[in-house]
Amino acid sequence: MDTLSTLISAILVAGLYATMSYGLALIYGVLKIVNLANAGFLMIGAYATWWMWTAFGFNPLLAPLVIVPVFFLIGIAMERTMIQRVVDQEPIISLLLLFGVWLVLQNVAYLLFTGDTRSITIPLTDAVYQRGDIVIPWARVYVFAVGTLALVAMQLFLTRTQLGRAIRSIAQDRDAARLVGIDVKRVNAIAFGLGIALLGLGGSLLSLLYSFDPDFGRTLTLKSFCIVVLGGLESFVGVAFGSIALALAEAFGLRYMPASLQNLISFVLLVVVLIAFPKGIAGLLRRRSGV
Amino acid sequence: MSRVQVAGPLIAAAALLCAVAVPFAFPHAEYVLDVLFLIFLYGAMSAAWNIIGGFAGQISFGHAAFLGVGAYATMILWGEGWSPWATLPVAGGLAAIFSILVGVPSFRLRGPYFSIATIGIGEATRLVALNWSKLTGGASGLTMAAGPPPQIQYLSALAVCVAAFGISWWIVQSRFGFALAAIKQDTDAAQTLGVDTTLFKTLALALSAALVGIAGSIYAMHYLYVSPDSVFGFSTAIALVIMPIIGGVGTVWGPLIGAVVYTFIREQFAVKLANADLLAFGLLLVAIVLFEPKGIVGAWGSVMARRAFRKRAAGVAARG
Repeated sequence: MDTLSTLISAILVAGLYATMSYGLALIYGVLKIVNLANAGFLMIGAYATWWMWTAFGFNPLLAPLVIVPVFFLIGIAMERTMIQRVVDQEPIISLLLLFGVWLVLQNVAYLLFTGDTRSITIPLTDAVYQRGDIVIPWARVYVFAVGTLALVAMQLFLTRTQLGRAIRSIAQDRDAARLVGIDVKRVNAIAFGLGIALLGLGGSLLSLLYSFDPDFGRTLTLKSFCIVVLGGLESFVGVAFGSIALALAEAFGLRYMPASLQNLISFVLLVVVLIAFPKGIAGLLRRRSGV
Repeated sequence: MSRVQVAGPLIAAAALLCAVAVPFAFPHAEYVLDVLFLIFLYGAMSAAWNIIGGFAGQISFGHAAFLGVGAYATMILWGEGWSPWATLPVAGGLAAIFSILVGVPSFRLRGPYFSIATIGIGEATRLVALNWSKLTGGASGLTMAAGPPPQIQYLSALAVCVAAFGISWWIVQSRFGFALAAIKQDTDAAQTLGVDTTLFKTLALALSAALVGIAGSIYAMHYLYVSPDSVFGFSTAIALVIMPIIGGVGTVWGPLIGAVVYTFIREQFAVKLANADLLAFGLLLVAIVLFEPKGIVGAWGSVMARRAFRKRAAGVAARG
């Protein structure tokens, strides 16, 4: 594989990483909680796509049109019933709560769908673009395009609308936002809903690329943590930067190590970054440069 | 000394005596022995997790790594011709050393960041065990033909369990325990007051890891099989977190109650419906966090407090 080919595939992967990590960053930015149930929602997004496809013949490429609004509502309901109660407590409480939610999601999926590995195969998932040495699966291009589109729409929403600005103002300074009359509770719920909706989208897109089982998403979530920490929490540019950095590290790291160790790269990077820049993260938190 | 203060140790001593007598009184009750063995083994791990997660407030999702290091140490050395009992201190020692190696850098992180790093440590350790086939046997793991008799296993699990709870009991009334409590409440304030927070956190982690490593060693002798998925697996990591939280995180006896509940739910549900046990644990965890963060011990405490209040209120009412 030559450098150009590696570069292209790394950038395509980075788009996917950014899509699935932005939900984590948004939820952390606004609610200051770490969504440990991240993996569970990715997994449910993948299964929802698969289920609609096998049960009703619903086109998996269009599944996000259903999944995104449904996940948004699920997120809002979850925030109203559970997250709201722990949002102002010490961070460990919300971490454990969401860990429990993840366990519930994962094992409900085991009961509903069994532990068998599922995958989605449609003409697009097999098609590749080939020119010389460069081979690009079309599914990856599609996933990259949809993910990027969603992130751009999200960014426009956050910067151009009243509600989006309210969300960003809470991410910057919750008390000040409250003082200028922003309904923090309502915005919290919406931000959590958006975060979950992005995870649903991410899971749906992932199902086109990878096979999955109820344990799906654990490795990916660690990657998201790595990305969000690399790029600085709650910053849009940061998530994009972190995604590209991780995708490049993985793509080029593969040249020097066996593929079975590829997932190790993100963990090592995560631990190294967490250890090397704890002040850096704290500094970013203090600056809170906006979403 | 009040009646309760005398009764407590007496009850504990009586319970211990009964526990020691079980394998001699009922040498053929294999199922009961097996369940009790698991309760003691898991109770020991649960209490060990509670030292760092409960007393010091540093939630670790990576404790399976220490269990795995202990279990693998025993299996590897046993395979080399060591007596399994001789590997016990090695298993504990290696787990402690490993915990210090990963703990010193990770403790620069606070709260949720530390917890996330521990997930990474757990996963990374599992991947290394999976790929370092020469030492670990890779995905197929390591097996041994025959282990110590069940009665001996039972007694050794009981011994580790007693040690873990003895240490917990000592910690809560020692200067060490006060330091950990200070770290849990406010790390910065503790540091300002002269508590060497990193040192104490690392000590607590090493102590916790050593106990879990020894438990891992006994685990290996019992199952005669270790693989990356069994000891480093996610369900092991979950078990270690969930037991103390169900029972009462940061309390002395909560982890034992948690281990009993855990073993019971696992024995009851897992046989009937795979994964129903983990679903039950997830629901329990959510319910506990939302309604009773101090677990069963906390719930019991508030029930007793309410009853005492009602009694007093009734007394006042009677006197008019």
